Formats: sequence, structure tokens, C-alpha cells
Amino acid sequence: MVNRSIQSGRRYVLAFIIGTVLFFGGFLIVNSLSYLEYQRISNLQDQLAYKIFEDKLGYSLFGQEICSDDAYRKISEDLGFQGRIIDDLERKFGKEDARVLERKKFYSLILLEHFEFVNLINQECGKNIHTILFFYSNDLKYLTHSEDLGRMLGTVYGRNDNLVIYSFDVDLDSEVIKDLKDKYFIQEPLEILIDGDIKLRGVKSIDEIEQHL
Amino acid sequence: MELIKVVIYLSIYIGLIATSFYALSFFSNRRKDKLLYEDSELPFVSIMIPAFNEGKSIARTFDSILKVDYPKNKFEIVFVDDGSSDNTLEIARKYAGKNVKIFHKKNGGKATAMNFALTKVRGEIVVSMDADTFVDSQALKKMVRHFKNPEVMCVSPGITIYQPKSFLQRIQYMEYLMGLFLRKAFASLNAIHITPGAFSAYRKEFFDKYGGYEVGNLTEDLEVALRIQYNHYIIENVPSAPVYTIAPTRFYDLLKQRRRWYVGLMKNTWKYRKIFGPKYGDLGMFVFPIAWISIFFSVFVTVYLFFKTMFNVVDEVLFLKSINFDFPNLLNFNLYILERWAFLFFTNPIVIFIGIFVLVIGAYLIYAAKNLGPIKGWQFSLPLFFMFFALLFGFWWTLSIIYVIFNRDVKWR
Repeated sequence: MVNRSIQSGRRYVLAFIIGTVLFFGGFLIVNSLSYLEYQRISNLQDQLAYKIFEDKLGYSLFGQEICSDDAYRKISEDLGFQGRIIDDLERKFGKEDARVLERKKFYSLILLEHFEFVNLINQECGKNIHTILFFYSNDLKYLTHSEDLGRMLGTVYGRNDNLVIYSFDVDLDSEVIKDLKDKYFIQEPLEILIDGDIKLRGVKSIDEIEQHL
Repeated sequence: MELIKVVIYLSIYIGLIATSFYALSFFSNRRKDKLLYEDSELPFVSIMIPAFNEGKSIARTFDSILKVDYPKNKFEIVFVDDGSSDNTLEIARKYAGKNVKIFHKKNGGKATAMNFALTKVRGEIVVSMDADTFVDSQALKKMVRHFKNPEVMCVSPGITIYQPKSFLQRIQYMEYLMGLFLRKAFASLNAIHITPGAFSAYRKEFFDKYGGYEVGNLTEDLEVALRIQYNHYIIENVPSAPVYTIAPTRFYDLLKQRRRWYVGLMKNTWKYRKIFGPKYGDLGMFVFPIAWISIFFSVFVTVYLFFKTMFNVVDEVLFLKSINFDFPNLLNFNLYILERWAFLFFTNPIVIFIGIFVLVIGAYLIYAAKNLGPIKGWQFSLPLFFMFFALLFGFWWTLSIIYVIFNRDVKWR
């Protein structure tokens, strides 16, 4: 019969240390990658804000052309993408992360700037670019439905050329979002506003949206 | 944090600690001198081959064992036909001779055939060999050398799959190869608790003292391994002694095999539950508990993922209906979809941990290749293993647990 005592207590301690380092190292790598993406998105946002600001000033101060076909498209292309990545970053860093929340507030301002710019194009150029304001929530209670409605709106966007979609997080602690909700009488998440006056709630199919476009 | 995430991260954390511990144990004991028989000291060995309807493979089994490099005057084969209804006995009789004894008995199951063989053997060392197993010519000698240490009661080989061809065989092939490293790491801690029934060597004295194979036990080989541990003896392992077994090719055959193994493991673990705890050193304090914790986690995650996938499919169908199944526009809606997918993928901690475990598995395979030679077709087998093994493992275990809970009858065949 053999002695069954533990071979080496030191080995257990060492294994615990190695396992712990690997475990937390994994999270460190993930956080570093997320932070790099955060920085990249921040730079993109700054560039986009600058571009909208420049175009609006160009029009109001110097009477520059804003009616060309792709004037608004250039600044619209990656709006949706940026919003989604910021949402993802918020979920990765946590809802309380000040850096991401500040970016999100800034992003909301960019969206509204863009929204105003599109309205201006419609007025000045006689165009009929449709706008949809989408109020979503990352709260667990609404998360799945928010994502589904976001994907549904994405499909609507793909099927309609003259359309811009703006997504706002209703839970964001931002005066601008509060004012926007008050202005359009937004009561709860998952409401959408088409062309500033048609409000839809509990949308079940793209047909309900497209009949107003 | 959701419960499922807690469970997944906890299992990853425990997995990393366990992997580190096994690697450290393996390297710490690698260079330890072992008591080994010289060629001139090799003891008499009896190979016991029980068979039931193995007409297709028995000839090859005889051919392989008769070619082993072992002194012919210290070697015998005891073949027991367990009431086969095919031509197994007829084929076996062709091999009868000075060193090969052929017996026939009424069908009673593998354990009865092994116990019958134990009454006929002359060897100090007995080897149980399945009738669908083939051995490398050096395997037996390499294994038997370890019996010089009187505390060693069992020696297990480096078992692998014979010519894996089908989808399921390839997955099992990878599983067996990875087990090679773990078995050696367990051996360095004297914590092997499962020995392959296909080919394992035992000191006959153990059966004389503690009784033969347990009749009616679903996994009689596993019961013997646990009994050896329970009585504080050593089970050695020789990964460089290749033994080849034929793996099930059909899903249902594999399911039946695994159900028998896992139900047998649960019942035998309960029988030898006293092994848990400090009295049994590293086996009782770490290896055995970790093995069961891993099983618990894998079952939990599999059941969760199964139901989650079902609900997701329903949700997805409802969503697709809401967009009138407009797939082109669904896929085109975001030009950055790939970029976002890449971001979400590489910033998922689980992906990083899977990467670490892939490296570990790569190291296990290199170890297997060093002992058994080149791994043929690993380029096809490894991806299959990654894609399906965890799912199959969880499924087999879930089903086995259901069988035990509802006391359903599990048959040997």
C-alpha cells in the first residue's frame, strides 16, 4: 500500500497563481482591445462632427451647395455603425463607465445635428428624405426587443433609398435626450417617430413602417 | 451577471487552474526514476481475451498479440468464447496451440468470461484484452516492466483508435489522443481512476486478494481501477505502448457505449465515494472532484445552450417574418457588419480562453504524436472535435444522468 498524502502543496499554490494570471490576463486583453476600439470610434466621431459642422457653416455663412445627391450620404454612412459600437462598448465597460457615456452623449448630439441638417436639405432643396427617430433601451427588460426593432429598421433602411435612421438610448442621462423625448411625447422605449410626426409603438412588421414612407 | 456567465467563467477558471496543475505535475515527475524489470526479469504473462460474436475482428486480434515482442516461454493466451452465436469460436480454434488455450462457456457477460479466464491463467501478470483490439509489438513489454514495483497493481497503455475514418471515429480519435497526456499526468499523481478495458495489465495477486471482476457491473474494468485506488495501490501508465481499438461508427452505437460508460462511472463512483477527501491524497482532493465538477459544468452549459438555441430559433423565425423574409436587405443593412462582428468576437473573453485551451490541446496532441507517432488526418479530425465534442459530451452525460435518476435499465450491449 502506498502513502496517499498530497505530493506538493506548493504545486497547488503555483497552479492557482498561473490559473489566476491566465484568467485575469484574458480579461485584460479583452479590455485593452475594447479600449483601442473606443479610441478609434472617438476619433471617427470627432471627424464626423467636424464634417457636419463644416458643411452647415459652409451653407449658412458662405452659401455653399448642399443639394448634391450625395451631400448627406457622405456623412450618414457610418452613423449607424458608430452607434452600435458605442452600445457594444457600453455593455463591455459597464453602464456606469463615464468615458463611454460621454461618447454616447456626444454621439446623440451628432445625430441631432445630422437630423437638423437633413431637415435643412429637405427644405432648401425640395427633397423628400425620410427620417426615423428610434428610441431604444439597453435595459435587460427591453434589450431583445430593442435589438429586433433595430434590425427591422436596418432592413427598412436597406429597402428605402431616401431614409436616415437615428437611434437614441432613452436611458441616457442627457438633457438633449430628455428634451427630445418631451418634444415628441416619448413615453417609453421601442417607440419610433417617422418624419417628425408619425409615432409608432409596438411595431410588429416592416409593413407598418413602410406604409408611411 | 447572468447565472450562465457565472457558470461558464467559473468552469474556465477551474479549467485553467486544473490544466496548470496537471502540467506542473507532469513536468515535476517526468524525470523520476522508476523500478523497471530488465528483459531477463520479465514475469510470466497471461493474456485473457473474452469474446462474444467477434468473428469479424478476432483473427486480427490473435495475429497482433501473437506478434508481440515478449519471451515465448513467459507468455500465454487464454481465450474465452462467451457463448458466441457466430463463427468466433471456430476462428479462435485455428490459433489453439502450446501458448494459446481456447475455452468455451455459456453466455454470461464479459465479467463472467474474465473470471472464468482468471481460473485458467498461469501468469503472475494478467492482461485483459478485448477481441476487437490490436497491439503494437513493443506495447506488452513496455507495460509489464513497471510491475517490478510491488505496489503497482495495474498498468494501462497508450490507447488510441484504429484507422479512424468516419465523422464520429475522428472525434473519438482526438478525444483518445488528448487523454494520453492527462492519463500520464494522473499517473504522476497516482490518480488514474479509469483504465481501458480494451487492454490493461494487472497483477494477478490483486484479484486473488480482493476478488475478480464484479458480475453485473456496467463498467467492470473501471470498477477494478477504482478498487485498486480504494485499496491504496498504484496504477501506472505507459503512453508509449500503443494499443488500437475499433471505435463505434454509428451515432446510436456510440451513444449506447457512452451511456454504459457514464452510468457505470456514476454507479462506481458512488460505490467508492470514500475516495473523495484527503485520505486519498491528490486523487481525493483534486483529480476526482475536478473531474466531477467538469462533468457538472458541461451538463449545465449543454442543457442551457440547448434550450437557449431553441428559443433563439423561435425568436429568429418571428423576426424574419416581421421583415417578410427579406434576406438580401437584412444582410445589406449594415456595411460595417463584419467589422462589428470582428469587434464583438475578439473582445469576448470566452474567445480568448478558447484560444488558450486550443493551445493546450495542441500541446496534448504534440505529446501524443511523440508517443504514438504521426497523427494522421488531424487537419480534418481536430476541427470536427472542436465543433462537436463538447456538445456530444454534454448530451451523453445529460442522457446518462436521466437514466440514473429514473433508474432506467442500461444493458452492457
